[in-house]
Amino acid sequence: MHEKKASIALENLRICHNCDLAQSIPTLAGRVVVRCRRCHSVIEKHQDNALERSFILAVTGLIFFIISNLYPLISIKKAGLTVDATLLSSSIELYRIDRPLLALLVLLTTIIVPLFSLMGIIYIFVIIKLKHYSNFTAPFFRFLRRNEIWGMLEVFLLALFVAGVKLADSADVILGISLYSFLALVLVLAWLSATIEPNKIWEATHPVKAEN
Amino acid sequence: MKQNITGKSLGLVSCLHCEQISQLPNDYHGEKVCCPRCQARLHSRIPNSLDKTTAFILTAALMYVPANIFPIMNIVYLGEAKSDTIIGGVLHLLEGGMWPMALIVFVASILVPVLKLIVMSILIISVHLKAHWRPAGRTHLFLITEFMGRWSMVDIFVLAILIALVQFGNLASVDAGLGAFSYAVVVIFTILAARSFDPRLIWDVIEEPQVGDHD
Repeated sequence: MHEKKASIALENLRICHNCDLAQSIPTLAGRVVVRCRRCHSVIEKHQDNALERSFILAVTGLIFFIISNLYPLISIKKAGLTVDATLLSSSIELYRIDRPLLALLVLLTTIIVPLFSLMGIIYIFVIIKLKHYSNFTAPFFRFLRRNEIWGMLEVFLLALFVAGVKLADSADVILGISLYSFLALVLVLAWLSATIEPNKIWEATHPVKAEN
Repeated sequence: MKQNITGKSLGLVSCLHCEQISQLPNDYHGEKVCCPRCQARLHSRIPNSLDKTTAFILTAALMYVPANIFPIMNIVYLGEAKSDTIIGGVLHLLEGGMWPMALIVFVASILVPVLKLIVMSILIISVHLKAHWRPAGRTHLFLITEFMGRWSMVDIFVLAILIALVQFGNLASVDAGLGAFSYAVVVIFTILAARSFDPRLIWDVIEEPQVGDHD
């Protein structure tokens, strides 16, 4: 991956979100990241077939997400008893001990938002391929992009390891089968967020030219 | 030759959500204008960005105190009740000789929230003071802070996993403490603070001497 510096011209105008500098970007091919001339933050990235790649990664992620929810992620054994934890049980148990707000927070960040993001990307791809746009398509994708940050599965993965280490002294910790699929899911999600090019989707869903 | 033409000086605004560049009406004075592509409200700068960020940061800073004083979890083990604060959790890992894990948890649950509160405060103050000091550096500091914030959620998740796992009745059980809720509020509010901060404010004062037009 190489980097290009943007320059000033009127075609392909971009305005940096982080410093408001107006600049034009070159026509992109291959795998490129364009950075702002002034504050050096990323203003555009390009990869061939980004849309198709994102779709495939989202489907892969969805499959791993389903598998991750089917079996225990981690189990402990103590005095002949075994207790399993799944992705969903972390929220359910919080609810059961009367911590509804914390339960809701965990449910949102580990289940609802990640699932919504994956299904949303698949939905958008299908819409674009079928050219089935409506006035709802672009606001839907905006909502999806805006709330993606509340999906925190990679942080949950770290928490699984921390919890395992904490319990290793006092009980037998057994790694569940779903843990491997969960690990794969986190990697796929990271790959997906590096691949997805919102601009491609925006241009496809609702092509509007600048008015000047 | 300097060619620092901003979107604002051209009367153009780039939608923060879909990147669509639109022209604001000539007589624009803060009324509602929507993005032609994604229908989001368009703003040259996020409205009341500094006030909102300050409010979120102050709330987070206030809640940081109970988050650290009160236990994040109550543990019953072999009939004996124990409480663990956030710092206590790190120390227990360290005592158990798990220093790499202790370091990770220390960074995520203590260093990141504190740095986030400090960095956001510095950014707010520097914008208030119209500082010209290293704008690109401050922008990067902001982007890094925004990215790091989510990792502080690790403590809430560890708590949720422990509660789900340690269910052996009187032998051993874990319950959420008072600190857990406050800590969750700190994490959420620092994320909201980063979201309402507009880094373009850092650059506006850099423009002023050259452009010198109305606000």
